[in-house]
Amino acid sequence: MLWIISSLVFILLRIAPGDPVDAILGNRANEFARESLRIKLGLDKPLINQYLEYLNDLIHGNLGISLNTQEPVKVIISKALPASIELAFFAILIASIIGYLIGFLGAVKPEGRIDFIGRVFGIGTYALPPFWAAMLIQIIFAVLLGWLPIGGRLPPGMSPPPFVTGFLVLDSILNKNIEMFFSSFKHLILPSVTLGILLSGIFSRSLRLNLEEILKKDYIEAAKSRGINDYRIFIKHALPNTLLPILTITGLTISSLIGGALLIEITFSWPGIALGLQEAINQRDYPVVQGIVIIISSLVVIISVGIDIAIAYIDPRVSY
Amino acid sequence: MLNINGAKNILKILSLLLIFSQLSCVQYKKRENIIVASAGKIESIDPAQANTLRTLQILSAVGDTLYKINYEGNLIPILAKDLPKISKDGLLIDIPLRENISFHDGSIFNAKAMEFSLNRFMKIGTLNYLLNEKIQDIQVKDEFIITLKLKKPSSSIRSLLTSVNLTPVSPNSYSNYKDKFNNKGFIGTGPYFLESFTSSQQIIKPFINYWGEKPKNKGINFINYNNSSTLFGAIKTKEVDVLISNSIDDMQRVTLNNMVNKDKLNSGEGDPIEIGYITFKSNTFPLENKAIRKALSYTIDRELISQQVSFGTREPLRSIVPPQLHKNNEISPWAKYEPELARNLLKKEGYCATDILTIPLTFRSNVPADKLLALTWKDQIKRDLSDCIKITLNSVESTTVYKQLSEGSFEAVILDWTGAYPDPEAYLTPLLSCNEINNNTCLKGESVFSGSFWGNHQVQELLEKSEELEGESRLNTLKEVEKLAAKGSSYLPVWLVKPKAWTLKNISRPEFSRDGLIILKNLQRD
Repeated sequence: MLWIISSLVFILLRIAPGDPVDAILGNRANEFARESLRIKLGLDKPLINQYLEYLNDLIHGNLGISLNTQEPVKVIISKALPASIELAFFAILIASIIGYLIGFLGAVKPEGRIDFIGRVFGIGTYALPPFWAAMLIQIIFAVLLGWLPIGGRLPPGMSPPPFVTGFLVLDSILNKNIEMFFSSFKHLILPSVTLGILLSGIFSRSLRLNLEEILKKDYIEAAKSRGINDYRIFIKHALPNTLLPILTITGLTISSLIGGALLIEITFSWPGIALGLQEAINQRDYPVVQGIVIIISSLVVIISVGIDIAIAYIDPRVSY
Repeated sequence: MLNINGAKNILKILSLLLIFSQLSCVQYKKRENIIVASAGKIESIDPAQANTLRTLQILSAVGDTLYKINYEGNLIPILAKDLPKISKDGLLIDIPLRENISFHDGSIFNAKAMEFSLNRFMKIGTLNYLLNEKIQDIQVKDEFIITLKLKKPSSSIRSLLTSVNLTPVSPNSYSNYKDKFNNKGFIGTGPYFLESFTSSQQIIKPFINYWGEKPKNKGINFINYNNSSTLFGAIKTKEVDVLISNSIDDMQRVTLNNMVNKDKLNSGEGDPIEIGYITFKSNTFPLENKAIRKALSYTIDRELISQQVSFGTREPLRSIVPPQLHKNNEISPWAKYEPELARNLLKKEGYCATDILTIPLTFRSNVPADKLLALTWKDQIKRDLSDCIKITLNSVESTTVYKQLSEGSFEAVILDWTGAYPDPEAYLTPLLSCNEINNNTCLKGESVFSGSFWGNHQVQELLEKSEELEGESRLNTLKEVEKLAAKGSSYLPVWLVKPKAWTLKNISRPEFSRDGLIILKNLQRD
């Protein structure tokens, strides 16, 4: 799978219009300057040689050097990925709390007021364009009310703590820097809440629908007829059986967020992997694009396998 | 009971919000450095690689140039002690250098250091072709005199010596970077030294041993945000002290200007250095016909477009050189908006009556002003000349546009240009120069890279002649070039963009140098 993805990325980048030499030199550089740079970057070699070199490097864990900055791609990714994971973690946390709570309350009293509001909320957040929602939240809470910072991971002028994990909230705790902890946490609130709210719609809808379906099952009816109270039916019988689809949806959402939420990262100037990928694509920085795609794909594969294993563990009917 | 618990919870939440807001207030109050925000990430601070406004802005603070150009258009020695001395044949240029200047690492600035820096740029600089086309060799004549040996006489080399890209770097600190970039560090001679560098934030502090006028502030932090709204919000919430205008949407520029009028912000603007124009591909049907290009040049209502697109913040332009570069003798050789003249010309060419001229206009999808310009011009033509011309729009991402420009992919395309140095030649040569011309079509040269493919022997001769001239006669020759370009109508200048910056009220009004960069050392906190 990874080989197919890496090969596809390699081929598509070369087919795509645009040239890294143009991106670096501009289109007015003379032929000598362009050719010199092309040789220096190894772009003069036949495509098949470039591809074989790329695969060879990949097998040896070498993602290459950025054409633009001459920095190892590994270093570039190691700086950007923790930012995306940190954002994804908090966003999923918020989405889970809001989404599953709304979904659960809706399923408890179907067609009730909460259910109606929950359904409107679910559809509304799912339908909201992320960039619009992000800008709206940014304007209200950062510009008009001034409660929270407008963007970035830290206030201007504040240097990040010494690198331990790359997660600023965690690193500031590990470095016992309380001011930085508050600052980094404050910077995390708007993007993660925006993303969390946008995702919570899917979570609430999926829990609501799955619960509704399960509540119609025979074993639930049997439980009711045995006189088991509603609370126990929900908690002991219905909820555990919705776990499988919920786990799958949550896992897939995590996978997609690891790749970054581009529009949220752009709006809040969040220096994550999606922003890095966008910039690398604009600059036609082939190794960086390839490296980021490979890492994201690997993470998606790992998480998907992890979910499959978890499902097999939870549900005895599933076996591999 | 429930109400009491609810009230307690609300109080807890409010207390938390208060703590957060207080923490943020404390941060903004205690900051010492001036925070300058702009769009665009910096990946490298190496002058050999710098090509973005943001990088040049920082380099102008941490490095010095040999010369600067003042508002009268004259060279002012900075690291040079005097004006360059040019030999009679125009092939040797002696530049005497200032003494007693040290780099940030303590080493001495001298001719060897300058030679090292220029050679390094010529070897690895991404814009090295600018020098390589002109300079044959660099020699150290004396400890403080450097000699440039030119391939052919070039009067524009003097303006080129004002380029921030040619700021000297310390040979000691760059001994391991002779043939590769030093992306994260910089050791120069400027009024500031680079204290820290990351791609999202760069901090510079005053260099105490600086030879010239010392900075008026205690240091500057450069930060970047990715979009115009965030930048706009950052200055509105006082999160940053200074906002640089690049990548600020026109609508937000207007709001910022209104805030200046209401005395909520300060602002300053420099001479316009960026021109916006439309390139017509002049070597294929139908735009190979000069009369049609001429007709199109009558169709654009620049005043209307300026108002519709930028609320008047972009000045209408009828030349391809920013007016101030012609000193006190501005010219506007391109035609004014005359739709009737356009109709008459097109009728003569067989359009209007039965045939409608269709022009596919390409704009860069990632440049908002381009899109608005394209839409407005299209609608304006529909209003005025719908019986003669039809504009169809295509949007293409900018990297692809630049790549395909010289391949002749675009009949008409909206572009912009900023000269590498404040001189008419820095605008005319990149747009008009051509090394191989066949029947008014450029086969090889800058005109191909510009996408116009327009070649004119007289233009080429005058451009070459201007390299051997000085002063007024040189400027007059370049004006002739511009007039010929207007007759050729392969470009349609639209507007002029002034560099602008806004500062909070407790920061001094920003001042600009002639090359469109803020003079950072003059920024001052009250």
